[in-house]
Amino acid sequence: MRSIVMRAGLAIAGLVAVVGLIGTAHPTAARPQAAKAGAPQQSVAANYVGEETCLTCHEGQAYKGTAHALKSNAKTPAAMHGCESCHGGGKDHVEGGGDKAKIVNPKTLDASAASDTCTSCHNRSAHALWDGSQHDQRKVGCLSCHSVHSSKGEKQLNATNEAQICASCHKNITNKQHRFNHMPVREDKLQCSSCHNVHGSTNVKLLKAGTTVDESCTSCHQEKRGPYLWEHAPVADSCTTCHDPHGSNNDRMLVAKQPYLCQRCHVTSRHPPTVYEGFVLKNSTNANKIFGKACVSCHQQIHGSNAPSGKAFLR
Amino acid sequence: MRNTVTIGIAALLLASATVANAQGQPQQQQQNVPPQAPVTAPVAPELGLVDLGVRATSTTGDKARYERYSDLKDGAVSQILFGKKTETFSFAARAYNVGYRDQSYVADYNSGRIKVIGLFDSTPLNYFYQAATPWVQAGTSPTATFTLDPSARLAVQSKTPGIVGIPTSAAQLNTPSIYRGLATQFEMQQLRTVGGGGLTYNATPDMNIHLTFASTKKSGTMPWAGAFAFNNANELPLPLDNRSNDVSVGAEWATQKGMVRVGWTGSWFDNKIHDLVWDNPIRATDFSNGLAITNPPCQSGVAMGPYDCSGYSNGNGPAQGRMSMPPDSSMNVVSATGLYKMPAHTSVNATLSFSSMKQNDALIPWTINPVIASPTVYSVFHDLAHLERNTAKAEVRGVNALVNFNSRPNRWVSLNMRYRYNNHDNRTPAFEAVEYVRFDAVPEETGGETEAFDITRKTLDVNATFNIAPYTALRLGYGNDSFDRTGRSFSDMTDDIFRVSIDTMRSQYVTLRGIYTHTIRKGSGFSEDTIVHGGGQPNLRFYDEADSKRNRGTVLVILTPMSGVDLTTSFAKGEDVYNGEGHEFGLLSNDNSSINVGLNIAPKETVAFGVNFGRDKFQSMQKSRNANPLPDVQFNDPARDWTLDNDETVNSFDIYLDLSRAIKNTDISLNYDFSDSDNAFIHGGSRISSLIAAGTFLALPDVTNKWRRVSADVKYFFQPKVGIGLGWWYEKLDVSDFNTIDLTPGTPRIDYLGEISTGYGNRPYKGNTGFVRLLYRF
Repeated sequence: MRSIVMRAGLAIAGLVAVVGLIGTAHPTAARPQAAKAGAPQQSVAANYVGEETCLTCHEGQAYKGTAHALKSNAKTPAAMHGCESCHGGGKDHVEGGGDKAKIVNPKTLDASAASDTCTSCHNRSAHALWDGSQHDQRKVGCLSCHSVHSSKGEKQLNATNEAQICASCHKNITNKQHRFNHMPVREDKLQCSSCHNVHGSTNVKLLKAGTTVDESCTSCHQEKRGPYLWEHAPVADSCTTCHDPHGSNNDRMLVAKQPYLCQRCHVTSRHPPTVYEGFVLKNSTNANKIFGKACVSCHQQIHGSNAPSGKAFLR
Repeated sequence: MRNTVTIGIAALLLASATVANAQGQPQQQQQNVPPQAPVTAPVAPELGLVDLGVRATSTTGDKARYERYSDLKDGAVSQILFGKKTETFSFAARAYNVGYRDQSYVADYNSGRIKVIGLFDSTPLNYFYQAATPWVQAGTSPTATFTLDPSARLAVQSKTPGIVGIPTSAAQLNTPSIYRGLATQFEMQQLRTVGGGGLTYNATPDMNIHLTFASTKKSGTMPWAGAFAFNNANELPLPLDNRSNDVSVGAEWATQKGMVRVGWTGSWFDNKIHDLVWDNPIRATDFSNGLAITNPPCQSGVAMGPYDCSGYSNGNGPAQGRMSMPPDSSMNVVSATGLYKMPAHTSVNATLSFSSMKQNDALIPWTINPVIASPTVYSVFHDLAHLERNTAKAEVRGVNALVNFNSRPNRWVSLNMRYRYNNHDNRTPAFEAVEYVRFDAVPEETGGETEAFDITRKTLDVNATFNIAPYTALRLGYGNDSFDRTGRSFSDMTDDIFRVSIDTMRSQYVTLRGIYTHTIRKGSGFSEDTIVHGGGQPNLRFYDEADSKRNRGTVLVILTPMSGVDLTTSFAKGEDVYNGEGHEFGLLSNDNSSINVGLNIAPKETVAFGVNFGRDKFQSMQKSRNANPLPDVQFNDPARDWTLDNDETVNSFDIYLDLSRAIKNTDISLNYDFSDSDNAFIHGGSRISSLIAAGTFLALPDVTNKWRRVSADVKYFFQPKVGIGLGWWYEKLDVSDFNTIDLTPGTPRIDYLGEISTGYGNRPYKGNTGFVRLLYRF
C-alpha cells in the first residue's frame, strides 16, 4: 500500500513537471494572468511622476504615519519612489487619464503576485520564508491581513487585533480562547503571533520558536524542557498528544479529562484500567484518581523526573 | 533505493520544467532608474493618550478564576500611550495597569538605521484565593520543606479513636480530618515577569544585525502533588523561584536576489528550588517492624522487614517524602538560513540548525526514608547503597534541516516542494534503576533502565497549485512523514498524506476555501514486548503511534454582497479511526466537527457590528480491561472489558458593536461573548454490566460550564483633548464538575477520600468591574 501511495505522489509531481514543460512551449505570458490587468511596463525612469502627483487624485491614500513613511530607512517607499515604489511608475496612468490598466493595483492581482510586491522589500527576518509557506500556497496573501493605506491595528492589520484577523479563517481555533482553560489571549497577554509566524517558519504548524512542537512550547515553559533522567514517551514526542494549546474545557488544557486521557494508553493491570466512576468517587480512596489532580495526584512528575526513583513519575 | 531514485528523477523533471520556463520568458530586468528626489511625506503629528481613573470590582464565588490572568483590585488604573513619528524616526511607548500584577510596559524606537524595543510584562496566574493547607513551609531553597503538626501526625499514626487523618471510607467522610482544623487559608497564585529587549542595527541597507534578550522570572505558588501510597495523596502549595534567560544574536544579509542569515540562541533555566521534602500526614515516624530482611524479600505469608511490603498501598511508609524539582537546563542553537530567488518567480530556501540541550543537576538519593536507606536493606538491595552517578548528565542534540523549493513558472501552475529533516538525539546515558524505592515506602526490583527517546522525522511535501480560472486555485498535494523512534512499540511510523484544496476569489461577492486531507498512518517494527513488559494488554496500541486513518475537511464561504458586509460560514470535520492489526485496546476513534456562522457589517469607518455563532462537537471512544496481571485469569477475560464514550458539545457566541465617533465626540464599544460546554462520560461494556449488577457502579454526571462576558466602554471627549471614559465588565461562570469537592457549594473540602488537598478546583463566579477614567490626548 505504501509503495502505491508513494508512486501516486510521485506521479503527481511528474504530472506537474510535464505540465510545466508544456507550458514552456508557449512562453508568451510574462506575468500571471491577473497581473495583466494592471501591469505597466517599467521601461524608463521618466515613467515616475512623483508622489505629489499621485496625491492630487488619491489624497486619502497617503501612507503617512506608517512605517512606510520612515524616510530615514533606505528601504521604505518614502526613501525610494513613494507611491510608485509599490504601484509602479505612474506616467502612463496619469497620461491615460487615470487608466486603471496602466498602474499596478495589488488588490486586483492574484494573491501571490500581490505578495510579490510586498516581499520585494519584506524579504528578511520574519518574512524570509514566505514563498511556498502554508498561507502563500492557499492564496492568503499579504493583503488578506494587512492594509498599507487603511489599516485598523498594529502592524497595519486589517483589524484592531490579531485574533480578529485570524478568526476570519480560523474561527474554530480563536473560539478556544474563551474555553474554561485557556492561554491568556483574551486577557491581551498573548496573541496568535506569540507562538506562530504566519509568514513562514522552519518549524511545523508555522510555530516560530524551535524546530519541534516541544521546543516551541518549552521556549516559554522551560521547566518542562528537561531533558530528564526519566522521560515520558508521549511528552518527548509532542506536547499536543495530551494538551490543546489553544484552549480546552479540561483542566490544564488537556485534550481529554483525567483519568480517561491517561487510560487511553495505560491499559495495563491493577489500578490504571480500573473503572473510575461515581461509586468509586463516593466510597473508595481510589477517588483520588478521579477528583482534583486525578492521576497526577501521585504521578506529579508526568513531564519527566530527575529522581533516581522516578520510574513511575512518583518522585 | 528505488524510491530514492524515482524521487530524484521527479525532482529533476520539476527543476528542468522550471528552468525551461525561465529561459522561455523575457527576464524581468531591474531597471537602473536614477532616483528622483522622493516627495517629502507629511510629518505625522505627535500622539499620546493618558488614561487615568479608578476601578472597582465586586465578585461572588471564585474570584481567582474571575481574575485568572489579571489583577482587578480596586484602585487607580492607568494606561499611557505615547507615540511620535517623523520622517527620521518613530517612537512609541505604552504603560498599562501601572503598579498591578498584570502591568506591562513597552517602548520601541526606530530610526531606520536602528530599531530598539524594550519591554517589561507581568502576568499573574491566580489559582484560588481560598486555598488552605495544614502544611507549613519551613524551607525554600534549595529544598522546599513542608512540615505538619507533629502531634496530629502521631494521633493519626496511632489510630487514636475519633481521629481521622485522611478519610478512607464514606463513613469517615462524616468526621472532619484533624488536618482540616489545622489548615490555614492562603491565596495561591503565581506571577510571571518578563523583561527584555531587542536591537536591530542596519549596518548597510542590505545587512542587519539582531540582538535580543529576555529574562523571565516565575514566583509565587502553584498546586503540586505528592503521594505516599494509593490512599495517601497530598496537594501542596509549591513555592516557585526560577528564572530563564534567553539571548539571541544574528546577522542577516538580504537583497532582491536572496538572503543569508546566521544566528545563535542561548537559553538557560535556573531553578532555585532543587527538591521538595514534605511530611507524611499519616506517619509521624518511619514505619519499621524492626525485623531483619529476608532474601528474597516480600514473600507472601512471611513477615519480613524492616519495611511493610504493602506500604505503598496501605500507607505504612515513611515519615517524609522527597521529590526532585524541574532541573536547571540550558539550550544552545546555531542556525543558518539561505534564500535564493531565481527567474520565473522561483525561489529556494534552506535552513540548517544544530541544537544542544543539557541538564546536569545533582541527583537526590534513592529515598529519604532511613529505614530503607540502611545496611539492613542494602544487604539485599545492593544497588540502593549508592547511585550509579551523582548527576543527571542528560543531553539531547538536535539537527534540523529544511529545504523549500517554490516556483510559479507561468500563470497556470505553482509548485512547492519541501523536505524537512529533524533529529532529536537523546544522548543521556542510561541510568540503572532495576532496584528503586516506590513512594519512599518500599524498595522494588521491578524498575529498569532509564530510556532515552530518540526521534528522527523526515518529511517530504509536494504541492502543485493550478490556477484553473482567474483568482481560483486548485491545489493537489502529497506528503510523506516518517518517524524513526526508539523506546516505542513501533520503531518506525509513516504518514502518507493526500490533500486537495480549492481557493477561489473569482467573484467579488464570494470567497470559497476548502481543503480535504486524508492521512494513512502505518507503523512498522512493532514490538509486543514493549507493551507487555509494562504489564499492558498485548492488544493495546498507543494512539500517538498506532496505525490509523485520518480524514479532515474544512469549507469556508465568505459572502460579501456589498462593501462593508460579510457573511462567513465555516464547517470543519475530522475523524481518526484506529484500525490497525491487533488494535483492540486504547483509543479507538476520535471525531470532531465545528461549524461557525458569522456576520460582520461595517457600513462606514465609524460603525462596525458583528455576530458569530459556533458549535463544536468532540467524540472519542476508548476501550480497556479491568484486570489483575498474569497469572490471574482476569487478565485474559473479555468479560472484564469496558469502554468509555466521551462526548463534548461546545457552543460559542459573540456579538460586538463599535461606534467610533459615529456619535459626535463619542466612542462606544460593546461586546458579548458566550461559551458553554457539556462533556459526557458514558461507560459501557461487560465489566460495567457486572458492576451495575453488583450495585457498585454510578454513572458520572456530565461536566458542564457556561461562561459569558459583557464589556462596555464609552469615551466622550468634551474637549478635543479631554474626555471621560466609563467602562464595565461583567462575567459569569457556571460550572459543575465532579472533580471539585466542596463541603458546601463554593466552600472547598480539603480532606476527601484518599487525599489532603488545597481545595483548588473548578467553581462558579460572578464578577463586575467598573471603570471611570479621565482621558487626555496630547
